[in-house]
Amino acid sequence: MFAYSLISGILFGIFFGFMALGLNLIFGVMEMVNLAHGDFVVLGGYVGITALNSWHINPLVSLIFALLLFFVVGLGLFFPLVPRLSHSRDPEMLSLILFFGLSQVLEALMEIKFGVNPESLPLSVFGNSSWHFLGQSYQISWVVSALISLLMILLTYVFLYYTPMGRAVRAVMGNREEARATGLPVKRTSAIIFAIGIALAAMSGVLSPLMIGSIDPTSGLGLTTIAFAIVVIGSLGNPLGSVLGGLVYGISLMLMQTYLSSWSVLVPYLLLLIIVLVRPSGLLGKGVRHV
Amino acid sequence: MKSAGLIGMSALLLTASLAGCGASSSSAPPTKNIKDITIGTLYAKSGAFATSSMPEYSGLKFWASQVNKTGGTYVKALHKKVPVKIVAYNDQSSATTATSLYSQLITVNHVNILVADFGSVLTSVAVPVAQEKKMLLFDQTGTGASFFTPSNPYVVLTSLPTSGLWPTSLAQYLIHKGYSRIAIVYATNDFDQSQDQTLVRKLKAAHITPVYNNGVPTSTSSYSVLLNNMAHTKPQAVIELGYPNNDIAFMQALKASGDHFNMVFTIFPGQLPQLFTKTLGASSINNTYTYPAPPLLSFSHVNYGLNTTQFESAYKKATGQSTNFLSIAGYNTGLIIQKTLSTANSLNQLSLRHAVSRFSGSLSTLDGSFKINSEGAQIGETLPVAKISTNSKGQLSIKFVTSPNS
Amino acid sequence: MFNPQWDTNTPNRLRRRLVNGVIPVLLLAGFSVSPLVYANQAILFQMMAFMALAQGVNLLYGFTGYLPFGYVGFFGIGAYGMAISIQLLHFPGILAVIIGGLLSSVIAMAFLPLLRLSGAYFAISSLAAAEVLSHIVSNSAFIHITNGPYGEQLTQSYHPLTSYVVMVIVLVLTTVVVIFIRNRPFGRALMAIREDPVSAAMAGISVVRARSVVWLLSALIAGLTGALFGWHMSVFYPSTVFDLNISILAIVFTLFGGYGTVTGPVLGSIVLYGLYNAIGISDPQYFQLIYGLLIIALVLFLPGGIISLIQRRGNYVP
Repeated sequence: MFAYSLISGILFGIFFGFMALGLNLIFGVMEMVNLAHGDFVVLGGYVGITALNSWHINPLVSLIFALLLFFVVGLGLFFPLVPRLSHSRDPEMLSLILFFGLSQVLEALMEIKFGVNPESLPLSVFGNSSWHFLGQSYQISWVVSALISLLMILLTYVFLYYTPMGRAVRAVMGNREEARATGLPVKRTSAIIFAIGIALAAMSGVLSPLMIGSIDPTSGLGLTTIAFAIVVIGSLGNPLGSVLGGLVYGISLMLMQTYLSSWSVLVPYLLLLIIVLVRPSGLLGKGVRHV
Repeated sequence: MKSAGLIGMSALLLTASLAGCGASSSSAPPTKNIKDITIGTLYAKSGAFATSSMPEYSGLKFWASQVNKTGGTYVKALHKKVPVKIVAYNDQSSATTATSLYSQLITVNHVNILVADFGSVLTSVAVPVAQEKKMLLFDQTGTGASFFTPSNPYVVLTSLPTSGLWPTSLAQYLIHKGYSRIAIVYATNDFDQSQDQTLVRKLKAAHITPVYNNGVPTSTSSYSVLLNNMAHTKPQAVIELGYPNNDIAFMQALKASGDHFNMVFTIFPGQLPQLFTKTLGASSINNTYTYPAPPLLSFSHVNYGLNTTQFESAYKKATGQSTNFLSIAGYNTGLIIQKTLSTANSLNQLSLRHAVSRFSGSLSTLDGSFKINSEGAQIGETLPVAKISTNSKGQLSIKFVTSPNS
Repeated sequence: MFNPQWDTNTPNRLRRRLVNGVIPVLLLAGFSVSPLVYANQAILFQMMAFMALAQGVNLLYGFTGYLPFGYVGFFGIGAYGMAISIQLLHFPGILAVIIGGLLSSVIAMAFLPLLRLSGAYFAISSLAAAEVLSHIVSNSAFIHITNGPYGEQLTQSYHPLTSYVVMVIVLVLTTVVVIFIRNRPFGRALMAIREDPVSAAMAGISVVRARSVVWLLSALIAGLTGALFGWHMSVFYPSTVFDLNISILAIVFTLFGGYGTVTGPVLGSIVLYGLYNAIGISDPQYFQLIYGLLIIALVLFLPGGIISLIQRRGNYVP
């Protein structure tokens, strides 16, 4: 039982680390919490489900499609909203409220378009085989999702640490004013990171029905809170922090389900509270954040 | 003094918005010159209960349109047929909003008949309001046991027994089959936890202690680890008690796990089979045990209203939707109201309540036998246990494993 | 959001005092008379409850900059404190309401460390705290105290008229408290902290104490409101009184009216809650859409709420 919970927690956690990655990037670069993050995840889920049901497109293909589509959506949202916010009196709080409004709008639109019933992908979408490990078998869809998640996290890491664009992003993360002073294109960098953040959220969303059972238009806010907890547990701006946060969340959740099932829903909230009160810079953080 | 002007403006706004809300406010019309019977109800077009609430509301509307086609419903108090008119508001699945809307129906719209929205949460807030305003509440599917007390004559449950009674036949079946290793996972809400308590109590009375009996939060969407833990206890029967979302997530995890148990039981495939076949595919609920509800549980012999087959085709024709348990429950509420109006000597709410007691036990509708106890709780309808089979075309059929008339 | 030039001109100050004093009187009169004109007391009651909650949010956000997404946690604790007092201790309704409010403040004390956080961290952590409270209350482990998932039934103590009257009193008192704080040195100290905590501390203001007082006070307001709300409904499930939408509506009402003022939350609640009842019941999908768009538009074009339209011309608004 313990081994199964642990391994499931790891697979689950890697996926959730990926799910939180977009929020992490946007928060890190712009100091804005995208409260509509979870809604973009759910939108991604609907992309995958609709593609499979209407056109028989495998979710593996939808992943790429969601990434591209929501990159464009992200750019389209950035320019009317974010620059105006950045010039306001209290960008951090106002952005929180603004993205909350956006989340309400997306939720309403999804309800109009997709109805209120939960929808899902068949778990056999990646085949019916299962993965045997240490005498237990795990469903293949979890394994595939975790592998894709891991790949995307690694790609993001490479992007941030080994490309010129990524270096600019990290400079902006480190200190926005300094970056601006040294002539870095802060606004363009922010726009691209915002779009990437939303695209990654939607991409993880394509896999989400496989991991969380089913999605409906109201699933967003819960996912946002989990993602936020994961970002805070790991640390800002560091994709590896997201993985760590995801793992802590996934493993805690599964062990809690095994040993104290009726309290399992508290896992993300308790982890969040413990971390912000005990070690607000996150497990990998260096305490640079102004909390 | 612009600031004073502002305050004046806000006072004006307060008055205006109140006037706006109260535009239809008037005193109750005298009984003599009633032109139509107004039925006030709520529905949830969005939120957690929309899936169930909308078909239920649709069933009630279907009943009203059927009745009005024939010139209305016979009202004994007026000695004539009177058209019915439904006044309905959308509570968006919020109990808070529902509170003010029930109050709106009673105090502002002065409806003749008050009908609750779907389920215990949205019904609960109507119970004290109805009692205080002395309005009989037609409770459709709010099965919380605490609604029904000897001191409150103003509530009647039209469909389904209270949730604590649901597992009666399930417990009988498990005991009858001699299953000694039973694993139960339930969602920790009013509806499911009360069923778990009853089930466990009945099993214990037969000296069976479940090998696994754990509650999980209602928001649980991942059952894989839970299933694995249950499988470790080597159960013969696995019982999952949840809301539709829980049941879907559970069935999905079960299918993916490849585990096999002699018996798997969940609640909602029997009530909302289309939801499961649409979300997970028909094969996912093959061989699952459930409480079969109408229309899976078909009643061809009725003494009031349409029978199941007639309803299915008429409803499809009128609304374009296929029948599920909740549309039948909504229609059934309409039938009970119709019977009440044709029995009661006056439109006084207590006289309506007495009328319901008078015909209780003698009515058979497509929802089964209608019988209430002195507190207004439903005791006529039973929930048998049946096994669902799906064929390769995705058609469903059921086989009863306990008697549908027990 | 607030007028930085504090007028010392005596007639002007008097006039301001008068204008401030008119607001609670108007509320008292308005909500006392309106049940005679308008039969649906439940809507009037809820409007008052949201107005009180909006003032609580206003106190916290408008005066200290902390945005409490989880404000509903205090509301729910108030309702449960009240229900437990009635069910287990057999207290009369009004005393039970006071206990509910106090319990909420006690819980707020336990969450004082949250004030070490700022901005989004505080907002989302308060949400997490509310979820934790909600799940503790609804867990079967405490079924003997809270009745767990089965919710509370207080039909024996149901008294809509008394709870209505007490709600009027709580609303008026809340408004008076906000007026008082806003026009006293304490309020100005809070504003100073909000703008620049470091300079405020250097100027000798006890930042921690001032924030803590406001935090406990706003928890008390939410607790009392929640307790009254629970009493007025008399039947509720954990999900009813810990419904996140309650926080959300209170925040939106405050922002719409204008935070940091007294009239803002009052206006916001009247206009938006009125609107909610007038058109919301007919088609909520579009309503949620309109709400969302309204929030976005407010943040982008009118971050000070509708009050700021009047303030913009240099007018004094209480």
